[in-house]
Amino acid sequence: MIEIEINGNVVKAKAGEMLIQVTDREGISVPRFCYHKKLSVVASCRMCLVDVEGAPKPQPACSTPVNEGMKVHTQNDKAKASQKAVMEFLLINHPLDCPICDQGGECELQDVAVEYGSDISRFSESKRIVPDGDIGALIQADMTRCIHCTRCVRFGLEIAGMMEMGGTGRGEHLKIEPFLKEGIQSELSGNMIDVCPVGALTSKPFRYELRSWQMHSMPNIARHDLVGSNLFVQTYKGKVKRVVSADNDLINETWISDRDRFSYEGLTHKNRLLEPQIKVQGQWQQVSWKVALDYAVKGLNSHVLKHQKVNQLGGLASSTATMEEFYLLKKILTEVGCDNIDHRLNVKNLDNVITLDSNIKLGALEKIDYALIVGANIRLEQPMINHRLRKATKKGADIDELNVMAFDFNHPLDTKNITAPNKIAPTLAGVLKSIMISNTQELPDYLLAVEVGEVANNIAAKLLNSRSSVIILGEHIINNEDASTIANLITQIAQNTNSKTLNLSITANTMSANWVGFVPQNSGMNVNTMLASDMRGFILLDIYPQYDFHDLETAVKAFTKDDTFVISLNSFKDDIVAGYSNVILPIASVYETSGTQLNINNDMQSYTAAVKAPDEVKPAWKVLKVMADLLALPSFHYADSAQVLAEIFHQPQTKHTHDENVNLTSKHHGISIIWQNSPYSIDAVLRHSNALQKTKIGQMNSAYMNQASAETLGLSADDKYLGVPVVITNTVADDCVFINANQAVNTQGQT
Amino acid sequence: MNEVCFKNLTKDQCWSLKTYEASGGYSVWRKILKGELTPEHIIDELKASGLRGRGGAGFPTGLKWSFMPRHSDGQKYVVCNSDEGEPGTCKDRDILRFNPHAVIEGMAIGGFVMNASVGYNYIRGEFMEPFKRFEGALKEAYEAGLLGQNINNSAINFDLYTHLGAGAYICGEETALLESIEGKKGQPRFKPPFPANVGLFGKPTTINNTESFASVPEIISRGGQWFADIGVENSGGCKLFSVSGHVKSPANFEVPMGIAFKDLLEMAGGIRDGAKLKAVIPGGSSTPVLTADVAMAMTMDYDGIERAGSMLGAGSVIIMDESTCMVEVLTRLAHFYYDESCGQCTPCREGTGWLYRVLKRITDGNGREGDIELLLGVQDKIMGNTICALGDAAAMPVESFLRCFREEFEYYIEHGKSMVKG
Repeated sequence: MIEIEINGNVVKAKAGEMLIQVTDREGISVPRFCYHKKLSVVASCRMCLVDVEGAPKPQPACSTPVNEGMKVHTQNDKAKASQKAVMEFLLINHPLDCPICDQGGECELQDVAVEYGSDISRFSESKRIVPDGDIGALIQADMTRCIHCTRCVRFGLEIAGMMEMGGTGRGEHLKIEPFLKEGIQSELSGNMIDVCPVGALTSKPFRYELRSWQMHSMPNIARHDLVGSNLFVQTYKGKVKRVVSADNDLINETWISDRDRFSYEGLTHKNRLLEPQIKVQGQWQQVSWKVALDYAVKGLNSHVLKHQKVNQLGGLASSTATMEEFYLLKKILTEVGCDNIDHRLNVKNLDNVITLDSNIKLGALEKIDYALIVGANIRLEQPMINHRLRKATKKGADIDELNVMAFDFNHPLDTKNITAPNKIAPTLAGVLKSIMISNTQELPDYLLAVEVGEVANNIAAKLLNSRSSVIILGEHIINNEDASTIANLITQIAQNTNSKTLNLSITANTMSANWVGFVPQNSGMNVNTMLASDMRGFILLDIYPQYDFHDLETAVKAFTKDDTFVISLNSFKDDIVAGYSNVILPIASVYETSGTQLNINNDMQSYTAAVKAPDEVKPAWKVLKVMADLLALPSFHYADSAQVLAEIFHQPQTKHTHDENVNLTSKHHGISIIWQNSPYSIDAVLRHSNALQKTKIGQMNSAYMNQASAETLGLSADDKYLGVPVVITNTVADDCVFINANQAVNTQGQT
Repeated sequence: MNEVCFKNLTKDQCWSLKTYEASGGYSVWRKILKGELTPEHIIDELKASGLRGRGGAGFPTGLKWSFMPRHSDGQKYVVCNSDEGEPGTCKDRDILRFNPHAVIEGMAIGGFVMNASVGYNYIRGEFMEPFKRFEGALKEAYEAGLLGQNINNSAINFDLYTHLGAGAYICGEETALLESIEGKKGQPRFKPPFPANVGLFGKPTTINNTESFASVPEIISRGGQWFADIGVENSGGCKLFSVSGHVKSPANFEVPMGIAFKDLLEMAGGIRDGAKLKAVIPGGSSTPVLTADVAMAMTMDYDGIERAGSMLGAGSVIIMDESTCMVEVLTRLAHFYYDESCGQCTPCREGTGWLYRVLKRITDGNGREGDIELLLGVQDKIMGNTICALGDAAAMPVESFLRCFREEFEYYIEHGKSMVKG
């Protein structure tokens, strides 16, 4: 530590850090526009000029390293003169159209101008006007207001990993604009709105809605991935109007994904389910909660409970539920004596599941020197985790992939290993064997016959040479014939190379489901067994079969049976749900309920409702609690969801049993299908977010396969496969169809 | 006259390797290749010579070369700034045309001294003929085995590349020039870090002007003291002055530092058509203008010109006679800076356009009371507040024109027409 003097006060500082970091820490106000703590320094706006004793000219605080004994004045005549000079220059060509600018009230230029600007402009020439193009569905550009701070340009280059904005022209003709006609497409693009200090880049869905000061800003947690990014939900008269990021360096730093920022739009979609409904003699009736819940409880009693057929009752939930909801549904079921509980709706073979620990913190991910990605398109599946990996590559980390298709990464890959689904386990077995040979360990029997190829040897060498490595397993493996073996091989490889592992085969709030043990109890049935059995009742929490199940037809058939009583808790209207349900209860969606999210780091983050759910809609935890009361179950005395959480803490932690079997005898041949909902279709609220659906990512709807697979399947580029347009590309491995679907139109997984 | 950079000017095919070597060219480089000269010796000679950077800033070259961390690991670079774009300057063009080998040898010596095995010569985009000359000389030097890897088994490596600019004045600013070589948009970098620590491709780099490099071989060959003695105190050696404007014979003159301005004017044939001298810009368009009286009493060296109230700059002497309307000259200069600002930092991007628009309005006959104070205010707010010197360069002429010729501006504003031209 060194000491410097700022405005006559001695403060401590780290040698070499920039002056503005010291003044920010000390709470000394220095105006700035181009400086952003998470972006590189360009020192171009000149607003932070301060007087450094001994320097002939004023120095920019953002790019002046501190040194012992330095004396700085941030507010003396010299500093103020420079700051005011820059302010005047910034304002001469700025339109000063604050009354019609969406940034008004939260504009850095406006704020700084109050202190450093002049009341009357001396500029009487014509102002600059910059024509705007459409830069996409999420961001509104009004570049006449741009002050050329280049934060958006640097954000694209340094954080999003794709330079979508750039400065063209020079001098006064310098224009910040997207290079590409298709506009801004990054999955993190909305952060440009947050970093833009003026009204040049604003939120398009929020355009002309409200002033910032009219809204309440409530801290909340994002629900669409494994990160649980911190954000502020901004509301007005009980409606969510906008979402912006909140700082949390341990979780999302200062960024959020577009998915987390714009999903709120779905809340007000016309498809929202607003009233309880019961189906009487095939006809839907909108009824009061009392009638609906009575009907539901009566139905449960008459179909299941009264006849001692509780083993023919099942409870299923999607990964979007809160921890409290998973817990309450499980508690209801177990207290009525039902063990048939599951959330793993999209797994074809529940005897072949992935058990893999996640044992690396998000912050540590950016410090790794090697990562092996197996079966994941992380950039689109887990954008904020990918961001950490990208940071690692910027510090020199190598990343290899073992994927069925070459995806667009926004960071360099050392080697792309595009591998057929049935070759992934053998390759990983080769890696393990190579490592064990290097370590001169005795080989287990199952590795004796394994061939070690060049790819395996390369990966093994990198893992062995790495000081801190991570192996990441993604969601493309969940229905792989070797899923369990792949996960177990990864566990062993990690143990033998001191690597960390990250299990991204799950998403949303699945961590919570696992935490409370929302899986078959005792000898209860798993989801696939339930669907194949003669069931008489189901409670379905936020389920839309065409998106959530690997096999739509079997699920719908099971739910539709004449004597099966189905209670559905949903946030959105859905014809298929209406087709099989007997009662539909409208439940709160994101930001409308309190609850808890467990992220990949095991950070348990609770949130309160930012808005009340609309009309008759109720939070699911309340619905479940009242249903329990009506079922006359004791011990459901909760006044709020926090009491539910407190009870969860007192439960014994569910033990996960790991089977460590490695089975390399799988003889799977033929074409494997990997079906994935496209990134903006993974849950109901996202599917109803208009702006997101208009983006390029929102429009992803393709069945990718190589020429050989297309020929085997007798398909050409004009065809559809399982209802999804075929794209023939040599970036897909052999024997594989990789599907990104933004609408489920057919049964998955059947050829 | 014409003793260093122009020493072969009158010879046949003066740009050829044959001519250059016949007059002692590459003798210093060959000595280095034989191991007969040390970097320390060369730096000492340069320091003794009093050679100061000929690009305009006038920083002592020997000192600059000594700043390079020559013993540090990793690649280092020497870069020659031949992006001669300052209005009034045309000396580097002629060095490249008539004595390219001196630049090559000077850069090679620099590479040896600073342990940089790669050099780049960044040539102004419009300089097609000089570019071709230099490329031709480079080819000759390679063919003669004077450049490349392990040159003459000396274990010394020096590869030299030419990089042609694309017509941006700002790329003459050394860090913008580095950006341009890196394939990026030519925009100056903020300093620190300085190029000697973080330069081209992030590696230690020294950038010198063409004339500086071209002077080095002769200085080392004949000794620093010899060179220093040509000039005057604090301004060693001789210097190329580009004399342009209202003179009979505009030309480049390599003359001893300290020569009287009136003698230089005489060499250029004096004012044309028997007119009277009105004003002189002594160092290129960015330097303050001087009135005739002050100029005629001035000596052409760093201190002499500074005493007169301006700067030696790149030695670009613009002569204006009594027919010149100073308001229109300043408007033209203001347009130049407005057009050439890179736009990166606020005061220059916004201020140069403001200055130009006010001046344009005045010369359009729409001047207003208070415009002079406005111009002075705007230039003052640009001055010292920008990333690079272009802001200052745009501001300085405004201040000096208004100080020396204020009555012409007042007249133009009041009458809507030029005092000189009517």
